Amino acid sequence: MRIRVHFYSYCKDLTGCASVSERVEPGSRIEDLLQKLFVRFPRLAPAQKSLLVAVGVDYQGADHVLQEGDEVSLFPPVQGG
Amino acid sequence: MKSDPSYPSDKSDVSACAGRMTRNMRRELDITTDKIDELALLQRRELAGDMGAVLCFLGVVRGTEQGRPIAAIDYEVFARMARRQFDLIFDQVEKRWPVASVRLVHRVGRVAAGEPSLWVETIAPHREEAFAACQFIIAEMKRVVPIWKNPCPV
Repeated sequence: MRIRVHFYSYCKDLTGCASVSERVEPGSRIEDLLQKLFVRFPRLAPAQKSLLVAVGVDYQGADHVLQEGDEVSLFPPVQGG
Repeated sequence: MKSDPSYPSDKSDVSACAGRMTRNMRRELDITTDKIDELALLQRRELAGDMGAVLCFLGVVRGTEQGRPIAAIDYEVFARMARRQFDLIFDQVEKRWPVASVRLVHRVGRVAAGEPSLWVETIAPHREEAFAACQFIIAEMKRVVPIWKNPCPV
């Protein structure tokens, strides 16, 4: 199944793009998607520990199971104010 | 991956509570590239007779970042998610304190040094709740609302 992935802040710089489409197996978790993305964008991998992940508009953890059509966003710690 | 910064323990409580409670707290949120118009915001203030504390906080872009002078900060936002996360924060405020009103404006895009980037107003019967709610909103915003700063050198 295909998942749309959006990058924000310096994740955009590390990948060189604002969004991509990634194919994952049905039943894949966020962790599986991240591993694919780290292979595709090796510069993203060192940021792994600080990355935040949202599905739609809600934060999700590494074990969250993805669904067809999900929009996943990856970004560093937030800094509003 | 960093641990989930949402409200893992409170999330279900919020949903459950949302079903029970009437949402009486006035809430206004504006995420905008426009300058913050304090006068217009003050003119729109609604103050009920039993409210004894009005607290306004203004966050201003400092002229330095990590010791170096800057001209501005360019704020990036994931707007749809930012609105959702602010709404969750406001749910928490409504659940924890008898706050009558929360209004918040966050500027995004380029904000020059010396200009306000954040305006928060809380109205409550007593100062303790108004201060506590305002502190909570700002602390939680800095933890969960997807907004990022990009300092622009002089």
